Amino acid sequence: MRRMDAVTVSGLRKTYGKTVAVDGLDLRVKAGQVFGMLGPNGAGKTTTVEILVGLRTRDAGEVSVLGMDPAREGREVRSRIGVQLQARGLYPRLTVKEIVTLFASFYDRALPVDEVIEQVGLTAKARTVVRALSGGQAQRLGVALAMINDADLVFLDEPTTGLDPQARRGLWDVIRGIRSRGKTVFLTTHYMDEAERLCDNVAVVDHGKIIAFGSPSDLISEHFEEQAIEFSNSVSRDREKFEKLPGVTRARLSENAATLYTRDVPATMTALMQLATGDDIHIDDVVVRRATLEDVFLKLTGRRIRE
Amino acid sequence: MRTFWQLVLANARDIGRDKMSLFWFLAFPVLFILLFGFIFSNEGTPTYDVGIVYNSGNPLADGLVKGVSAVPVFKVHTGDREGELQALKKGKRSLVVEALSPSFATMAGGDPLKVQVYYNETQPTARQVLLPVMEQLLSEAERRMTGRPKVFDLVAEPVQSSDLRMVDFLLAGILAMALMQLGLFGAMRAVSLREQKILKSLGATPLRRSLLLVSEVVVRIGMALIQTFLIVLIGYAVFHVKILGSWLALLGAVLLGALTFVSMGYMLAAFPRTEEAGIGLVQMVQFPMMFLSGIFFPVEIMPSFLRPVVNAMPLSYLADLLRQIMVAAPPEYSIATDIAVLGGWAMASFVVAARFWRWE
Repeated sequence: MRRMDAVTVSGLRKTYGKTVAVDGLDLRVKAGQVFGMLGPNGAGKTTTVEILVGLRTRDAGEVSVLGMDPAREGREVRSRIGVQLQARGLYPRLTVKEIVTLFASFYDRALPVDEVIEQVGLTAKARTVVRALSGGQAQRLGVALAMINDADLVFLDEPTTGLDPQARRGLWDVIRGIRSRGKTVFLTTHYMDEAERLCDNVAVVDHGKIIAFGSPSDLISEHFEEQAIEFSNSVSRDREKFEKLPGVTRARLSENAATLYTRDVPATMTALMQLATGDDIHIDDVVVRRATLEDVFLKLTGRRIRE
Repeated sequence: MRTFWQLVLANARDIGRDKMSLFWFLAFPVLFILLFGFIFSNEGTPTYDVGIVYNSGNPLADGLVKGVSAVPVFKVHTGDREGELQALKKGKRSLVVEALSPSFATMAGGDPLKVQVYYNETQPTARQVLLPVMEQLLSEAERRMTGRPKVFDLVAEPVQSSDLRMVDFLLAGILAMALMQLGLFGAMRAVSLREQKILKSLGATPLRRSLLLVSEVVVRIGMALIQTFLIVLIGYAVFHVKILGSWLALLGAVLLGALTFVSMGYMLAAFPRTEEAGIGLVQMVQFPMMFLSGIFFPVEIMPSFLRPVVNAMPLSYLADLLRQIMVAAPPEYSIATDIAVLGGWAMASFVVAARFWRWE
C-alpha cells in the first residue's frame, strides 16, 4: 500500500476567513512518479503543499503522506521528505555551502553536501552568500535543500517560477534525476509545458478543486480528438462563421488571435484560406499544433491559465 | 547535538557578518564608556574663571587679585571693565568682580566699600556657590583689616569614604545597559527571521523549534559574555576600574541579566509583524529604562512621582546588582531584591512570550 501511494488526499478543505483556498480536494500520487499540480496562481496549490508537509492545519478531509498524517506526525513526516517552499527565506549572510550543511544536519539520512550542490549546478557559487544569489540560483538552492535529505518523497512548490528557459530545462533534468533514483516528486506549477513534459501524472486545479486528473497525454486525448489551428486575427469577431467551417468543432476568439479545434486539418485549412481571400478577414501567422494542457484548461474553465 | 552546533554556528555567522549589528553589539557600548568615562573623569577639580576689573589707581584691586587667587578653584583673569563684562556675556567668565572707587563718604569712614559682582544668570553654580565664596572671602578680609579676633575656626578633615569614582559607578551601569540592549534588540532577530520566512523554511524540516530557540538564546548569552569581557577590560585598561567582587558572582549576575532581557525581548518580539515595528516597540521600552534606571543620573535627582516607574524597571535592579558586585557601590536595593526582581521579570516575560509567540 505504502509502496503504491506516496500521497493520498480526500475531501481536503482549507479556508482563510471567508476565502476558500482548498475546496474538497482528492489526490492520489503513486510512488516513483513525478506528480504535478497544475493551476493558476491562487488555485490552492501552495496551501495544499503546506498542509501535506505539516506547516498548516486543515479544516476537513483526510491526508496521508507516506502512510502518516502530517497534522499528527508532522516531525516524522518531515524527517522522511524533502521540501522546497515557494515563499521561503534563508539566513541572508550564510553561503550556499553553509546553508546546505546546516540543513543536512537536520536529517538522519543526508546526502553528501557537495554532491547535492553539484547536482543543482551551484558548485561555482558554493562560497557565495545567499543574498548575493540571483533569483534562479536561489531557486536552485531551494531545490538542493529539498534534495539534501535522502528521502522517498520530495515536494517542490513552483520550482521553476521566475527562471529563464535554459535554467528551467536545467531544473527539469535535476527533477528527472530525482525520479530516476526511484523517488517520488510532488511539484506544483503554473507552466503548462512543464507539466506536460515533466510529469507522469497531472492534477489540474482551479479554485481549490481538481478539474482534471491523469497523465498529460490522456488528459489531452480525453478532451481533444482535434488539433488546433491558431492564427492572428484582428478583424473578425464572428465566431459562428469559423465554427461552420468543415471539420471545426469549436472556435475561440481572443482580442487579436483565433484558435480553431478541428478533426480534419486539410479541409479546415482549405476552407479557411478561401474565407481569407474572399472575405474581409486578414489571416496571418498560421500555426497547426496538437492540443495541449493549456487547451484543456481553457476548455474546462473558459480561461487561460495565466490571465 | 550536531544539529544544535550547526544552528549555533549558523546564527553566529549570520550575526557576525552583519556589520550593523556588530557595531551596536561591540562598538556602541565601548564608545559609551570612553565618552562618558572621559567626561566624568575630569569632574574632580572644576575651575571657575573669575574676572577682576583692574583699574589703575584703585588700591583695592590688587588686594582682590591676591585674595581671589588664593582660592584654588578660581582662575583669575584681569582686564578693564568692558572687556571682562564682554567675556562674562560670552560665557568665558563665571564671575566678574569690581571694586568700586572709594567715595568721599567711605573715605570719611561712613559707608562700606562697595565690591560689585557680576554673574551669569544661566549658570546656577555662579549664584549658588560662587557668590557665597566671594562673600566669605570679603568678610575674611574685613576681619583681618579690622583686627577682630576669630570666634569660630572651621576645621575640615576628610574622611575616607568608599573610593567610588563616577567612572566606577558608570561602568557597571553601562554593562547593564549593554546587556539590556543585547537582549531586547537581539530578540528582534526572531521577528526578522519570521518576517523573512526563515522560520517557515526551518519549519518544513524535522528541526525541533525548541532547539532553534535554545540555539538563539545560547548565541545571545555568548555575546553577552564577550561584551562583559570587553567592557571590564576597557574599564580596567583605560579607567583603572578594578573588579572588587568575585568573578563568579559577576558571571552569575551577567547571566541572570542576559536571561531576563532575552526573555523580555522575546516577549516584545511576539507581537510585531515587521522588524521595523519591532524595533520601534523596543525603543519605547529601552529608552525610558536607559535614562530612568540610574545609569547616567543618580536615581535621587528624579522627581518622586517617577520613583514607582524606576522601581518597576528591571534595569534599575541589574545596574544596582552589577554596581554592588563590580565596584562595591552602596546598595540601592538589597542583592536578594535585585535577584528576585530580575528573576521575576525573566519568568513573567517568558510566560507571556510562550503564550503569544507566533512562528509565522
